[in-house]
Amino acid sequence: MKTIYKRPESFTDAVTSYCGGCGHGIVNKLMAELLDEMGLREKTILVWPIGCSVYADKYFKADAICALHGRAPALATGIKRSLPDRFVLVYQGDGDMVSEGMSEIMHAAVRGENFSVVFINNAIYGMTGGQMAPTTLWGQTTSTSPYGREKSSSGYPVNMAEIMAQMPGVCYSERVTVNSPQRIAATKKALKKAFSYQFEEKGLSFVEVLSPCPTGWSQKPVKALEWLEQKMIPIFPLGVFKDMKEGEGK
Amino acid sequence: MGEKVFMQGNAAMAESAIRADCKFFFGYPITPSSEVPEYYARAAKERPEENIVFVQGETEVAVFNMIAGTAATGKRVMTATSGPGFSLGQEAMSFMSAAGLPAVVVEVMRSGPADGEILAAQGDYFQAVKGGGHGDYRVLVLAPYSIQEMCELMQECFDLAEKYRNPVILLTDSLLAKMREAVELPGRKTSRVDQRDWTLTGCAGREHHVLTTCGDGAAQWEAFNLNLQEKYAKIKANEVRWQSYQVEDADIVLVAYGSMARVAEGAMKMAREEGLKVGLIRPISLWPFPEKAFQGLAGKKFLVTELSAGQMVEDVKLSVDRKEDVRFFGRLGGVVPSPKDILAEIRKLEVK
Amino acid sequence: MKHELLFSGIGGQGIMLLGEILCNVVIEKGYQVSFAPFYGQEKRGGRTMCNVVIADGMESPIISEAELMLVMDERSLKDYEHLVAPGGTLLLNSSMIELEPQRRDIKVVKVPFYEIAADLGNAKASNMVALGYVLRYLPFVDREAVEKEVAKTFSAKAALVELNVKAVKTGYEYEEQV
Repeated sequence: MKTIYKRPESFTDAVTSYCGGCGHGIVNKLMAELLDEMGLREKTILVWPIGCSVYADKYFKADAICALHGRAPALATGIKRSLPDRFVLVYQGDGDMVSEGMSEIMHAAVRGENFSVVFINNAIYGMTGGQMAPTTLWGQTTSTSPYGREKSSSGYPVNMAEIMAQMPGVCYSERVTVNSPQRIAATKKALKKAFSYQFEEKGLSFVEVLSPCPTGWSQKPVKALEWLEQKMIPIFPLGVFKDMKEGEGK
Repeated sequence: MGEKVFMQGNAAMAESAIRADCKFFFGYPITPSSEVPEYYARAAKERPEENIVFVQGETEVAVFNMIAGTAATGKRVMTATSGPGFSLGQEAMSFMSAAGLPAVVVEVMRSGPADGEILAAQGDYFQAVKGGGHGDYRVLVLAPYSIQEMCELMQECFDLAEKYRNPVILLTDSLLAKMREAVELPGRKTSRVDQRDWTLTGCAGREHHVLTTCGDGAAQWEAFNLNLQEKYAKIKANEVRWQSYQVEDADIVLVAYGSMARVAEGAMKMAREEGLKVGLIRPISLWPFPEKAFQGLAGKKFLVTELSAGQMVEDVKLSVDRKEDVRFFGRLGGVVPSPKDILAEIRKLEVK
Repeated sequence: MKHELLFSGIGGQGIMLLGEILCNVVIEKGYQVSFAPFYGQEKRGGRTMCNVVIADGMESPIISEAELMLVMDERSLKDYEHLVAPGGTLLLNSSMIELEPQRRDIKVVKVPFYEIAADLGNAKASNMVALGYVLRYLPFVDREAVEKEVAKTFSAKAALVELNVKAVKTGYEYEEQV
């Protein structure tokens, strides 16, 4: 019998603690597959954030550290400067990166740190019980915007992939999502590209993944995929915003 | 040893750190510590054979996390800062102590609170010794009183950090940092505690290593905390340091650390010349505090002198038999008293 | 032996350099020396003062009293006059100080350091004139060694070497007009 599908070698046997219908598990699996396929596992150092992926170090058979809230890019700077030939992968959510750690991610980009960053944008704080994030949409109800996010008091959703594309130290910035099999395949392609750029020492490579959060959004998983399509993508358009190698950029 | 140079405290300290094989420096400039990052920045360019890495971070928040990152890879690493910057680093101090990351932090105290002054002070004792970060954690704090001692302790900080897998603070102040003295620069130190059983370097040929400080339930987290407490207990048992001067026959024992101890020692000499029986206890490790230095000294009066409104004095009161025997003299705002000023305080005690 | 000195002026007068050159020379003799500088926050024109302690062993870098105090401006005089040891010497830069010292238990010496330096061709060398003058009170310091150290300090520019070495010599040999 021929094996046509198996659990990635880079995964441990642990079962994830992600909710049903959450995008984190999908992205984690793509990362594990790529570590396998690209032969990176033994030279990888994963830097995890505070958020729903806080226990993700348990899922991977790779060296890992869980950073303080928002500080992952600074921690990764210390790691990568010490070991420039290792593969350093930073993983952050919207609360972690765009709120608490906006300074750290921006300055990692300013310095053009040569590591890869995966940014999970689900427009809400998932782990802590569904509070408003900087990426929360106008009108979206969360526990700290119980009547919907208002422009007058909470300002505007933040488009990280576009912002990062503006930074000279960033070599690659793309926004993808995981709400269909085709888009999951495209996400894997984007991640692969971002990872490979690290070995060409081009600077910071950035992939933003729009990710469903049925629990945080109080929706059924299938409904959440639709909501992502109809509500999030118009505000956070998919696409490559910068690719120094291909000469792309919008 | 042997080569004697007339060097500024900050520069001599930076050179000693490089010679202790600390090749990584992440910093954010802040007076009066800026000569340390400046020294590293030059060395990184001018001494390419030493592979020195210098990065100027965007904030101390970031810098303290950067040193945590490099420490996680098993390399010697440090930063230097002053009060306001040190405040920003506190979150990461707690993190490093919990995660077992052996980074070294130099805190050059200036006078606060808030923006304050750039002159010498010791008002960050609480912040360094008691910890301004969150949770039950402890950090070893060493306080030198001369540039020579500063250089030697600077090197020792790295050994201690590795021995206990805990951050270590070298606590100095504006006066020691900016002062120049003849110093015999310590030699190269390359022997290290083997860190390979826990560091993050990629898991080729071994099981993968994970560093996390995220609790997974109360029972698991209490066990994690108890482990940390064991580490702190070991430090407390092994790393107490102080120097006592002429305390045996003394009626009055001065207690001072860092640059104030230099001044207090001068006051003690002046007092002795006048026939006053004065001694001095100089804590060198501020945590763990040298409680033992105060044993067997019942009946003596203690005069604690600090460049603060009274911080270490609380630890002295916890260490003596009768806290009524403890008096305090402090100056604030960057004013450093002279030996003569302290002598006047000693005389006041004598009269009573 | 223990000597406690205090030099004070305003930023740009070269007071710190004066102190450092002196310390560099004294240290060669094997004495324990500490040089403790104090600055204002401003980069230029602020106050600069240093405590210099020369001794056989380690001493407080903060002095109790100055046996010799060099004061280059009026504000320094107001701030530090009380720190001169009874019987000690207060050396005033009379080019910039009109104020009269209050103390009667000290020796006051007035020297126009600016004018002397200006006569040599550059008033900026007044700190080196003052250094030369200070050496009269420190017989254990070898003047030639100081001149060598000055030459080393300014070695980047030959013209400055000549000027400053001459300034030290002139200060040392200066005779007050009574």
